[in-house]
Amino acid sequence: MKVLVFHIGADRYGLPLRQVRRVLPLLELKGIPLAPDSVAGLLNLHGDPMPVIDLSRISGGPPSRKHFDTRIVVADYTSPEGAVHALGLMAERVQGVQDVAPQDLAPSGVQAAPFLGRVAGDAKGMVQLVEVNQLLPAELRARLFPAEAAAG
Amino acid sequence: MNNLSIKNKLYIGFGSIVAIILLLLITAYNNFASLTDANRWDRHTMEVLLQIDRINSVSLQIQVDTRGYILTGSEALIGTERENAEQLKQHVAKAVQLTADNPQQNERLKRAQALLTTWADVNIRRQIEKRRALGDAKGAAEILGQSSELKEAGAIVASARELLDQATEEERRLLAERSAKAVDLHSSQNALLLGGGAVVFVVSLLIAYALGRVIMGPLANLTAALARLGSGDQVARIVVTSGDELGKVSEDFNKMAQQLQDATQREQAQTNELRAKVDSLLGVVARAAGGDMTGKISVGGEDAIGQLGEGLQRMFDNLRQLLTNVQKAGIQVTTSATEIAASAKQQEATGVEQAQTSVEVLSTTKEISSNTSQLLKTMEDATAVADYTTSATSEAQGNLRRMDQTMQNMVNATDSINAKLAALSEKASNINSVLTTITKVADQTNILSLNAAIEAEKAGEAGRGFSVVATEIRRLADQTSVSTWDIEQMLKEMQSAVSASVMGMDKFSEEIRRSVGEVRQVTDQLSGVMDQVQKLAPQFDAVLQGMQAQAVGAQQITETMMQLNDATQQTVESLKATSEAVHQLQYAAGDLQSSVSTFAVNA
Repeated sequence: MKVLVFHIGADRYGLPLRQVRRVLPLLELKGIPLAPDSVAGLLNLHGDPMPVIDLSRISGGPPSRKHFDTRIVVADYTSPEGAVHALGLMAERVQGVQDVAPQDLAPSGVQAAPFLGRVAGDAKGMVQLVEVNQLLPAELRARLFPAEAAAG
Repeated sequence: MNNLSIKNKLYIGFGSIVAIILLLLITAYNNFASLTDANRWDRHTMEVLLQIDRINSVSLQIQVDTRGYILTGSEALIGTERENAEQLKQHVAKAVQLTADNPQQNERLKRAQALLTTWADVNIRRQIEKRRALGDAKGAAEILGQSSELKEAGAIVASARELLDQATEEERRLLAERSAKAVDLHSSQNALLLGGGAVVFVVSLLIAYALGRVIMGPLANLTAALARLGSGDQVARIVVTSGDELGKVSEDFNKMAQQLQDATQREQAQTNELRAKVDSLLGVVARAAGGDMTGKISVGGEDAIGQLGEGLQRMFDNLRQLLTNVQKAGIQVTTSATEIAASAKQQEATGVEQAQTSVEVLSTTKEISSNTSQLLKTMEDATAVADYTTSATSEAQGNLRRMDQTMQNMVNATDSINAKLAALSEKASNINSVLTTITKVADQTNILSLNAAIEAEKAGEAGRGFSVVATEIRRLADQTSVSTWDIEQMLKEMQSAVSASVMGMDKFSEEIRRSVGEVRQVTDQLSGVMDQVQKLAPQFDAVLQGMQAQAVGAQQITETMMQLNDATQQTVESLKATSEAVHQLQYAAGDLQSSVSTFAVNA
């Protein structure tokens, strides 16, 4: 299984490549007044507005630093109702694609943020998987995709 | 009290006695008036009593007449009945009038008046009418004696009499009261006269005593002071205690006594002064007689003694002046002689010294001659050294000029290096912008490779080969990034090195410029030195010539000194003769001074 490796703070995390649509450089985002801190802004994706979530911020850390390898990852977000949305994720130090063998994955054993999944160890340390579908709490989801919430 | 004049004191004394007597008289007069008043009231009471008595007697007369008529029926007995009734009414009216001042008595008498009027006009007349009607009938008197009219009339008159008795009683009581009051007044009048007389007597005595003291006291003081003054006591004075005429007399007396005392003291002072003046004159004259002329006469003035003193003073002054002049002349002669002797000795010593000096000068001159020869040799050496210095300095100047040229070349070279370094720095900047472009391309390539990997993954098995290519592209992009970073670092190091070089070159240029300036300064100084050294040679020649002339002059000095020595020897001889003569002059002056010094002329 191939994952896109990035960093939150000093730790490495992996996003399954199946859920990644594409990787974009750090573009200028439109600010959203009164939005929650974890929403970095809006991105114009080929004419469609797409909300961008700051991964560092939503994990309880400081805002992502604007480095040359800080990227915006466009991921597929599948809501509990089954609708698929494009969701931007701002990630620091996007290093590249890494192959993780399924037999290496093991439960972390610690119940922390709901979107953190299993971990795999390798020569450079541990990589923890991130579940995109678990990323948004219900309240934030209702704010980002209000039409769907009304429909559901 | 003390400041009043004697006249006022007498007025006050006698006036107060008269005032007391007047007071006494007024009081006595008042008492007499009261007594007279009391007598008048006594008489008034007596009159009232008299009227009441008259009322009583008239009423009795009427009663008696009526009874007689009743008993006898004789008309003659009642002939005066009308007249008596009128009299009764008059008396009663008088009594009422008299007691107008006493309401109680007046009331009583008015009641009595009413009763008696009724009695006289009604009752008596009824009885008479009844008796007249009976005529000479038998038992008429008894009938009437038993009749009610008689009884009624008796009762009325009895009550009237009772009222009259009460009035009488009251008047008598008032009379007794007034008599007692009159007795009191009498006794108080007596006491007033006796006591007042005694008080007037005593007060008069006191005032007489006080006046006597006030007037006689100062007089006695004055008399005593006059007696003391008469017996020669000049400090006799009176204590002035009052401001009256006697006080003024005392003050004038005091002034007179003071003037007397002052005059006596002035006379005494003048006598003493005169005596002192004569004494001082005598003292000064006695000292002058003994040879002491320093005495000063302090007596002056317009009187005979003063003029005598001034004459003496002038005489002494003249004498003193004369003696002082003689003494001064003696001292001056002595001093001059001493001075001459001293200068003669000094000249003698100078002559000897001159002789010695001449010998010393001779030897010195010889030494100068020999030294001059040595100096000549030394000067020749110095001239040679100066020539050598001149040539060496010009050589150094040439070297310095060459060095200056070299320095200039170095400055030019440094400037061109600086320019080249600037060009290098610019090139490095250009490289930097190229590197930025490469970095951007590498970054985009990285993203491209990531997306390619994602697409390949999505393509599944078909994209496997593509995935390998994407991984390869990503590796290349990473390598490009790393190399670019390395180049960047190297470029930065190079740029800092170039900056350091530029700064070093600047500093170096600055130092070279400073060195060039210093070299030029040294060159200038060397030129100055050379000029001076070249000037030295002719001066050395002049010195040489001067020295040769000196040697000749020294020889001439030697000869002159020999001649001078001889002349000095002769001078010493003549000075010895002068010294002898001066010694004799000194002895003569000493004699003169000792003979004059027996007179003392200075204080």
